[in-house]
Amino acid sequence: MSKVEGVSKVESVSKVKGLQTFPGNRIIWHALIVGVVWLLLLLLNNNIDPLYSSYLALIAMYATAMFGMTILVGLSGQVSLGNGALMAVGGYVFALTSMNWETVPIFGWQWNAIWSMVFAGLGGVLVGGVVGGLAARLKGPYLAGLTLGLAVGVPAITNRFPELLGGENGLMLTVPYPDGGYAAAGAAASLDPGAEGELESTTDPGGDQNGELATDDQFAELDLSEFDQETDPDAGLATEDLLTEEDFGSGDQLADGDLLTEEDFGSGDQLGLDGTDIGTDIGTDAGTDIGADLNVDSDSLLDGFDSGFIIERWQASMAIAVACIVAFAALNLVRGRQGRVWKAVRDDPIAAAVVGISPSGSKVSAFVVSSLFAALAGAVFAQILSFIGPGAFGLGLSLSLLVGIVLGGRASLLGAILGAILLVWLPELVDGLAGERGWPEQITNNAPNLLYGLLVVAVVLAAPGGVTGTIRSWVDKARGKARSPLS
Amino acid sequence: MTNFIDYLLGGFSNGAVIALMALALVLVWRSTRMVNFAQVGQAMFTTYIALTVQQSTGNWVLALVVALLAGSILGVVVFFLVIRPVKNSDTTGAIIATFGVLIALQAGAGMIWGGDPEGFVPPVDNAGLEIGGRIWPVSLYDLLVLAVTAVLVIGLTLLFTKTSLGLSMRASAFNPEVARLSGVRVNRMLITGWAIAGATGAIGGVLIAPFSTISPNSFDILLVFAFTAAVIGGLDSLIGAVTFGIGTGLVISLVSGYSDSGNAPIVALVLLALNLLLKPDGVFGHHGSRSV
Repeated sequence: MSKVEGVSKVESVSKVKGLQTFPGNRIIWHALIVGVVWLLLLLLNNNIDPLYSSYLALIAMYATAMFGMTILVGLSGQVSLGNGALMAVGGYVFALTSMNWETVPIFGWQWNAIWSMVFAGLGGVLVGGVVGGLAARLKGPYLAGLTLGLAVGVPAITNRFPELLGGENGLMLTVPYPDGGYAAAGAAASLDPGAEGELESTTDPGGDQNGELATDDQFAELDLSEFDQETDPDAGLATEDLLTEEDFGSGDQLADGDLLTEEDFGSGDQLGLDGTDIGTDIGTDAGTDIGADLNVDSDSLLDGFDSGFIIERWQASMAIAVACIVAFAALNLVRGRQGRVWKAVRDDPIAAAVVGISPSGSKVSAFVVSSLFAALAGAVFAQILSFIGPGAFGLGLSLSLLVGIVLGGRASLLGAILGAILLVWLPELVDGLAGERGWPEQITNNAPNLLYGLLVVAVVLAAPGGVTGTIRSWVDKARGKARSPLS
Repeated sequence: MTNFIDYLLGGFSNGAVIALMALALVLVWRSTRMVNFAQVGQAMFTTYIALTVQQSTGNWVLALVVALLAGSILGVVVFFLVIRPVKNSDTTGAIIATFGVLIALQAGAGMIWGGDPEGFVPPVDNAGLEIGGRIWPVSLYDLLVLAVTAVLVIGLTLLFTKTSLGLSMRASAFNPEVARLSGVRVNRMLITGWAIAGATGAIGGVLIAPFSTISPNSFDILLVFAFTAAVIGGLDSLIGAVTFGIGTGLVISLVSGYSDSGNAPIVALVLLALNLLLKPDGVFGHHGSRSV
């Protein structure tokens, strides 16, 4: 009797061991999951308003950084406020290295960008290794305090080296956009020119401009092929000026008072633009105020249309690529041996040491991995902003990462994604509400943070597992299993 | 050399305020064994309240008293709403919760008072005194700050060493179980600790506001300095907090004088990192042991 039991036990152990020594199975599954999500996200990116693409880019960027927070805070149990600073490290390394590389576009991404990403990651690993080495000796509040110092200190360091790092003003980035345009980006196979753009231009074939902007409240479509065929370039000066590549592509480059930015088109209702208004303006000639405000030559306009390049889309596809690669790495780490090691040290460092795990080694490795992810996210963020400066990477960014990870679910990668969505979506929600209700700016600007702060406290008190942890504990309850919300 | 003395003298009042904030952190640590990262947020909030009082009445002493009361009430509120429910369940969560409070307080202050920096008019002249034919880097207001700090530190020392309340607080900080068995109302002591910490931080906030301006985020850097001082002092030593608070103030003043005030956070970070590496329990701290 006892013999039989013993045999079956040995068998089950060897089965488990087999699973551990040949993890190929798991890695293939993870690759499949990430690949499918990647594809779906690219499809989504190509079929939504570029305004939403810019949100998608931000979400992917936050998620990249927060996968690192999942590992550091959730699995390894080290509260870090320094990840915003580590993002700054990545951003600055990217900015400094991307300036001096040869530009060779491959797969729509110039090699200098990829090299710079590699260096940004290395910079993150280096700084993370140093901080992690310190951090491994510390516990709880000491670590939080040290990383708080890092968050406050790193922006100060940029002021220390104003020539190199641009001081308070930061550095402008020449973002290495693909030369061949978005169509050459490989990811744009499904790009249908007819479905792209923002304006529906029913131009008069006779050459007289009756350009009409049919901006519906969400997003109007521009039938590009129609535009190309029917527009007479000589007669349509105003329209051409209006429909420049830059205007479509980047809201961020248009801070200088240009009238019709991409965002404006995206939400025509905000500006009270309706088709007829603009139609009449265009219908007159270049002398009207819209035409006068824009002075971009028509060549760049047509180039822009030929390639269908939309900066938001490119930014989103770049951020999604980085996020997916990082997610794949994180999945393998979290669900593999290393994930169990991190949790073991978090739950009881002494017990972990007894079974042969080095607690400090585990803490340092968590720190290094999260720094790598943070630095990559920082490099992506710098490219999205086409700028890097201490203001954007201060304590506030570190705190947002902490907020996101806590609300989404501290110990889950899905929680990191949910947290990233919440970080981008909540301020927009509040903005929308404020617009409807007419709240003063003072309230609107602070409402998201007030909500974040209160939500963090509420989540820690009532549902420490965040969204994913709580849902998982419900599922477990329904199945009759009991598990810690942070496991 | 005169420069050196000037910088050193100029650092004392700043150091006194850092010492107060560090004291607040230490008081909380002694009562609940956790670092209240919302401490400067609470101080910022009560300083805004004091600013409102001073602007409407013009009375600085009244503003200080209101800040003191508001600070202790806010400390107790934070303790009851956030710290007590979370404390025992989840140490990581407790740290995160204090940051949640910090974020909410800063946003709340931004909502009520706006984000623009506001000046806090000192009750006495803040220009360097002229004694013996030269202008010293010490103003009448600096002396007031030092005096208030001294009174507060002496009062706290007397409270902890000479009164039965202080003894009970020390007992419940040292060993809550035994203290409870000896008839000390430990919970009440925790509340008292948070109230005193809140009041101390509030006074620190009101004192430091006239040196620059006040805005919802303006005390962030103070948190780093105070944490540095408290940790170097050992986190549970009142003397350590005061000593290294003033010490940090002097170092910052020297760094700002000889190079640039922007370097101060870097120096604080280096000091903190060195201390945590070389003497993780602080200079005045006790080495803790842990049972398995």
